[in-house]
Amino acid sequence: MLSALPLGWRFSEQPELLQDFPRGRISEITGPRSSGRTTLLHSLLTASTTRGECAALLDTSDAFDPCSAAAAGVRLDKLLWVRCRSNAEHALRAADLLLHAGGFGVIALDLLEAPASSLNRIPPTAWFRFRRAIEPTPTVLLVLSDRFLTKSCAAKRVTLDRMTPGRRGPSFAGQHPFQTLRTAS
Amino acid sequence: MFACIHAPQAAALADSFSPHVEMIDETTAVFSITQRQLAQIPESLQIAVAATVETAILAARNLPGYTFIAPGDEPRLLGHLPIEVAITSTLPPDPELFQTFDLWGIRSLSDLAKLPDEGLADRLGPRGLSLQKLARGVLSRPLRPLLPEPVYEESAEFDHPIEQREPLLFLLGRFLYDLTAKLRAQSLSCGTLHITLGPHTRALGLPFPTRDIKFLLKLIEHSLERHPPTQAIERVVLRIDPVQPRRVQHDLFTLAAPEPEKLELTLGKIRALVGDGNVLYPQLRDTHRPGAGLNDAPALAFRYFRPPLEARVDPQPGKLLWTRQFQGRILNIAGPWRSSGDWWHCDPWDRDEWDLLLSDGALYRLVQNHLARQWLVEGTYD
Repeated sequence: MLSALPLGWRFSEQPELLQDFPRGRISEITGPRSSGRTTLLHSLLTASTTRGECAALLDTSDAFDPCSAAAAGVRLDKLLWVRCRSNAEHALRAADLLLHAGGFGVIALDLLEAPASSLNRIPPTAWFRFRRAIEPTPTVLLVLSDRFLTKSCAAKRVTLDRMTPGRRGPSFAGQHPFQTLRTAS
Repeated sequence: MFACIHAPQAAALADSFSPHVEMIDETTAVFSITQRQLAQIPESLQIAVAATVETAILAARNLPGYTFIAPGDEPRLLGHLPIEVAITSTLPPDPELFQTFDLWGIRSLSDLAKLPDEGLADRLGPRGLSLQKLARGVLSRPLRPLLPEPVYEESAEFDHPIEQREPLLFLLGRFLYDLTAKLRAQSLSCGTLHITLGPHTRALGLPFPTRDIKFLLKLIEHSLERHPPTQAIERVVLRIDPVQPRRVQHDLFTLAAPEPEKLELTLGKIRALVGDGNVLYPQLRDTHRPGAGLNDAPALAFRYFRPPLEARVDPQPGKLLWTRQFQGRILNIAGPWRSSGDWWHCDPWDRDEWDLLLSDGALYRLVQNHLARQWLVEGTYD
């Protein structure tokens, strides 16, 4: 099921945002660079951690920026960050271990910018295994990737796309395309 | 009955009678004594036996030789002592109090013992009453022996060095069984495990106090998996730092969270997979250093390229940007944002930042590092 983001969906509506992602299921977020994938991830982590839940981020390409996450409202003391140094296999293994440990609100498997060769080595059975492991838990398993990987195992898929510069959107507001990037010069 | 020895070698003498000895000072030791031990007391020493600790101390310090004070006999044996000796081991001496006694004409302990309780309490308070009880020989308090700090440690030495993990874990399991039983007897838990394998010692800090043998053994197993001993083991020492046990109040409204024991074991497995320093809870520092503190955080989410990509660029609209991973024409650019700091440390920074929109449609952060004279693409806004 390919569900596009509704127009006008604001990431700041965080408590409602998490409800759109079913618990006990896999959700997948894809899109090109600068399409808001990480902003959406931070919003979901904020929604989860501000409720008091524990969250985990499996960072395959070691790209996580704690500063912008904290600025988005993520409670860093509730966020477990696993840096996998471009090894998708390690990220999947760690995700499996965390799923079986249980108790997490959100487990985010960030496969963005991971080497294609590493992604190609992921066996399709891994996603079925995750789907079965997560089913009895109240955890949201988020998979972020450049292309859809989870096949039929994802209960929700979100595709993000960039907005053309000059149009109104989260990245480009007003006349100056960069005015939302910096709050002060 | 309590005995008090007042002699230069008081500690050694008292230890020969009882393991529970309270040292009042270097030359005065008090201990509990049985009827049978009374016959063994050397009469050449300055020693006193009495029904209370304080009376025994008072008599040992002020009466020569061996003194036995039967209960009720205190006023007769101690009454003639001057009032200045009425000093308890628990309260510091009060010169003002003795001046008051002097004004009242109280010269000896028997004089103080005869004063009415209520009137003394009204005028001198609890301190005066305590001294009067001492003078009467009825000031009682429990013995406070100085017990040695218990050491929770087990060790073994082998004739044939151990080379495999299983027999080592079996032995450590037995050690844990004994040590946790000792901890349980004292209502304590394990805070840190120190394991000495041959010449090396490793410390395993626990995130929460526990006495769960299976959990502790698993932690040791994971540690041995991650950092196996480099040589066969001839000697094993396991020491536990005791701490107060964990107390958790559960309620109906607490959100589900990972079980601490299970999470710690899981994190141990993940650490073995990705490395010790790669499993963490991120923390921000109070600094302006880019990427380390909350100051000047961008409004959009940022993704780092670690390490940053070296770039060839002229930061002007319409010019090309080239990196090892991607190339493109700069459609729009904003900046520079200049920052520098920590020049007083060994690790300063001095850089200019630009935000640029490339022809591939993505937003990047371009950094000119003035110290290294490098252009770098640090990451992308996403």
